[in-house]
Amino acid sequence: MSEIKKSGSADVTPILEIRGLQKSFGELSVLKDISLSVDPGNVLSIIGPSGSGKSTLLRCASFLETANGGDILYDGKYAFKDGEYAGKAELNQFRTLFGMVFQNFNLFPHYSVMKNICEPPVLRGQDKEKVRARAEELLKKMGLEGKEDAYPYQLSGGQQQRVAIARALALEPEILYFDEPTSALDPELTGEVLKVIRQLADDHMTMVVVTHEMAFARAVSNRVIFMDGGFIIEEGHPEEVFGNPQQERTRRFLSNYTQ
Amino acid sequence: MSLTTMILKMSEGLGKTCAIFFLTLLFSLPLGMIVALLRMSRNKIISSVTRFFINILRGTPLMLQLLAVTYGPYYLFGISVSRNKLIPVVIAFAINYAAYFAEIYRGGIESIPAGQYEAAEVLGYSKTQTFLRIILPQVVKRIMPSVTNEVVTLVKDTSLAFTVSYQEMFTIGKQIANSQTSFVPFVVAGVFYYLFNLIVDRVMGLIEKRLNYYK
Repeated sequence: MSEIKKSGSADVTPILEIRGLQKSFGELSVLKDISLSVDPGNVLSIIGPSGSGKSTLLRCASFLETANGGDILYDGKYAFKDGEYAGKAELNQFRTLFGMVFQNFNLFPHYSVMKNICEPPVLRGQDKEKVRARAEELLKKMGLEGKEDAYPYQLSGGQQQRVAIARALALEPEILYFDEPTSALDPELTGEVLKVIRQLADDHMTMVVVTHEMAFARAVSNRVIFMDGGFIIEEGHPEEVFGNPQQERTRRFLSNYTQ
Repeated sequence: MSLTTMILKMSEGLGKTCAIFFLTLLFSLPLGMIVALLRMSRNKIISSVTRFFINILRGTPLMLQLLAVTYGPYYLFGISVSRNKLIPVVIAFAINYAAYFAEIYRGGIESIPAGQYEAAEVLGYSKTQTFLRIILPQVVKRIMPSVTNEVVTLVKDTSLAFTVSYQEMFTIGKQIANSQTSFVPFVVAGVFYYLFNLIVDRVMGLIEKRLNYYK
């Protein structure tokens, strides 16, 4: 990445800001006090062991899980304040700001590739022809030309995930979330998906990526967060976090990845 | 009585057999969906009351339910038994089959992965859009084999209408069998049901094939 923008600097409003977020499943506290912000054009990677709360964090930010305390702001506006969510209509408005790419793709199996991508924006009232043109363009960008009429089961995992990315992008979100986008893929297919995400980063798409791909996180992101046990243990520029981790826990975690 | 006469006489009841069959499907297929949704309600009272009724309908003989719906109003309220027995017969059948369909629907709906709902939610689908566009089409495909099973059973179950003397094909056959002290009408009935189900099997097979464009 070319330039490092400092998160939370005064002159830009972060697209996503999270303050003191808490989430527990019954007795089990999964997120204990999470604060972070993502500025426009930045890529934030979240790494950490399984069960550290990375995915739950994304799921809270996208309203798929109900957080128990803290604040979530989009473009400086409260979607979740002191443990209270905004109204239903407002949340729907906020939902237009982010897109989500899931570990298991979650494409609609009974829809063709084209319908998977086009139906959500069309249901939101956008012009059919324009949406279709945008979808064609996205498919080209994803290296999926000629797959318009294919059904998800006819595609490889890597292709399915690229369709899922195109589907999220077709709604023109301000920020895109990736929840372990390559964890369900074998190494060969992982590469093609990471390449696409890297391309998006080069186009200054704002993204939060939960991942186990350390080399990728290091190369693509502006900031890296290491999470463990529901806390942010370490945060910084990828070169700092990967090259010179300050916390013992981070060092131990990263040592699993050095061959 | 010659075999041809028997077949002709029994054929006269085929219209009524078909009436029970088609009307039962017409009412029980949608009713089953309502029952399934009530059964899955987050409201504990609604779901357990629904469950109770499903269990009664599945746990007691359809024959008994037919008698109850047809003669119950007379014994309970003194209302005379309606001359057109098709109405009580179809009511009993539709309610009974709705209970079975409801459980099939519920199984189908619960088999759809949570990820489908989550993707739809993030993509801005409303609850209704999610159910009608994303969930229901997948459910229909998944439950087709179970639904076919029920439909095949329904063809044969129409014969139970003889308990309330509704003049469908089997009832006529039974009357002939009694008056002629002959087993032949039952064989004829068996052949009728078999042929009927052969058609059902073809039709359901076609629908399943239609839904086979995705996996």
